[in-house]
Amino acid sequence: MEHFIQTIGRNMFAIFGVMALGGAAFMIASRSAVHSVLGFLFAMLCIAGCFLSLEAEFLGMAQILVYAGGIVVLFLFVVMLVEMSKKKEKEVFQLQSRYAVVAVLLGAALFLGVFRKVLFGAASPEALVLRPELAQGLNVAGQNAQAVSRGLFADYLLPFEILSVILLVALVGAVVLAKTERV
Amino acid sequence: MTGFAQGLLTALLRDTPLITPQLFLMTVATLMLWPGDLFFNRNEKHKWAPITLVILAITAFLVTKVPDGEGFSRMFRMDGLTRGFQMLCILASAGAVTLSVKLLDSLKQQTVEYYALILFSLAGMLFLCGASDLISVYFSIELMAICIYILVAYLRDRATSVEAGMKYFLLGAFSSGILVYGISLVYGAAGGVSTNLVDINQALALTPTTSNLLVYAGVLMVLVGMAFKVAAVPFHMWAPDAYEGAPTPITAFMATAPKAAALAAFLRVFGTGFHGVSSDWVLPLCYIAGASMILGNVAAVRQESMKRLLAYSSIAHVGYMLLGVLSGDPKAGAQAVWLYMLIYIVMNTGAFAVVIYLQGKGEGERIEDFKGLGRKHPVLAFAMMIFLLSLAGIPPLVGFFGKFYLFKLAIEQGYVTLTVIALLTSAVSAYYYLGVVNQMYFKEPEGEAAPMGSGSVFIVALACILVLVGTAFGPWLLDWAGKIFWV
Repeated sequence: MEHFIQTIGRNMFAIFGVMALGGAAFMIASRSAVHSVLGFLFAMLCIAGCFLSLEAEFLGMAQILVYAGGIVVLFLFVVMLVEMSKKKEKEVFQLQSRYAVVAVLLGAALFLGVFRKVLFGAASPEALVLRPELAQGLNVAGQNAQAVSRGLFADYLLPFEILSVILLVALVGAVVLAKTERV
Repeated sequence: MTGFAQGLLTALLRDTPLITPQLFLMTVATLMLWPGDLFFNRNEKHKWAPITLVILAITAFLVTKVPDGEGFSRMFRMDGLTRGFQMLCILASAGAVTLSVKLLDSLKQQTVEYYALILFSLAGMLFLCGASDLISVYFSIELMAICIYILVAYLRDRATSVEAGMKYFLLGAFSSGILVYGISLVYGAAGGVSTNLVDINQALALTPTTSNLLVYAGVLMVLVGMAFKVAAVPFHMWAPDAYEGAPTPITAFMATAPKAAALAAFLRVFGTGFHGVSSDWVLPLCYIAGASMILGNVAAVRQESMKRLLAYSSIAHVGYMLLGVLSGDPKAGAQAVWLYMLIYIVMNTGAFAVVIYLQGKGEGERIEDFKGLGRKHPVLAFAMMIFLLSLAGIPPLVGFFGKFYLFKLAIEQGYVTLTVIALLTSAVSAYYYLGVVNQMYFKEPEGEAAPMGSGSVFIVALACILVLVGTAFGPWLLDWAGKIFWV
């Protein structure tokens, strides 16, 4: 029994990965838009699990907050507001299936072209790290949430603050352009 | 971890004085939206204009008080270049705000958001003038541009305004994408260690020849992205439509303030960051500058709308100013560009003030509307003639002074062909500017215009006096320009 649990613990990433794929497949396959959104939600939660199993706690939590929290709710809103009839839904979505097959084949060919060496070639003698000194900094920081905070509040404080003002401006702009009455 | 937090606080306290004007602007603009807007009822919104002018004056005062220095992980730099161009942006914004009052009143479109967005945009420009890192350059450009997209589409009941905003937004987003892709390529080519301009300049000097193509592609894409923002040919397609559709005060704003800020960034990015790899960008920039002068001036000849004419003329003027960016001596180039921009802001705002004065209820921006203005409003026609002659660069008006200084520098730096093109196209520009003068003085007036007396009269008078006597203050102007420098 203990052995079994350990095996599961070691293969957490693979398990969550397969579950995420299942969710994504359900999202594409299901006929109802609401079911699709639920499949998407499930896939996003599983990807958050993948991040957690890789010890990227911050990214995992952000994934849940942003995707599972924000984007799925947005999708649900849109789906409920648009409210398509079954027949129209069928027309709209099946119109594209021919192009979708072509797109998938193209995507697969591109993926293979780029990752052929990684998947089938000889293993690299050392791990590929884009910036060794950054990786070291991450180790020093101990936890990646700290590394993120270092980025946001020390190195990139000014762009971060400007970005927050940009978001405020976007909000104001939406009101200016959409408010029904003026003066 | 306390060490980290303490270091953060120390750095913050040290660096915050550098951006007091921007912090002030952003805080006040937010407070204007809420709770400020609650204090004025529907018919009193025009009172926001004088308040905005006071805010701009305080900002200008704060800019003079900011100490020189560099902060925020070397992302923002306060020096002569920053301060000089920040002042230009504030000046241009003040002009636009003054021109807005009566026009928005007559259209019944006064809101607090209009003025707040101008202030937010100005904050972005002030950041952009001092941005010394590719990341902060990009974010400042976005803050500046997003506000202007909204302002262009501000008159949302009017199809032209919405269309202009949409076009400007799409092309602006597209150009931002190119800019940020170029930044990422340069960042990769420079070793992926830093986006600071000084660091990048050093790192690019050490890149192996195998990554030459990467550097070339990156620098060119940054060049294209920036050229979009200043509307230089062949990346100018958005400008005439956006200028024509936008509310006229915003057209005056777009033609001056964001250009000043973007040129400051242009000077700093290419003068500091890409100075070492100038062989990569000098030739393309030469073509861009030459094409802007030629196409801007030639296309302006055929225009029937005054706003479009001024739009094409602003494209041409950007072409002239790019001569300063090309200068091998970045400091002299920056001084010439600053001087030209200062003069351009004064005469351009003056010309737009006349257009707005004549616009009545937002109609009548065709050149034909200027027919017989010399008979109907002699003083106004005289002022308009002064602005147009100055834009054409006819001595002894101050526009000639700026052009002379810029062209002299370009010849000294060995850009003889470009300078000859600049002189020839200036002659072409005199043709269409004089065409308007011809309409004003030698054509019979038609119909009754409904001009509106407003703050624009004040702007017209002030700008006219400045353009007329500006040359006499040449030594002072040169003295001010001498303070434009950076390391």
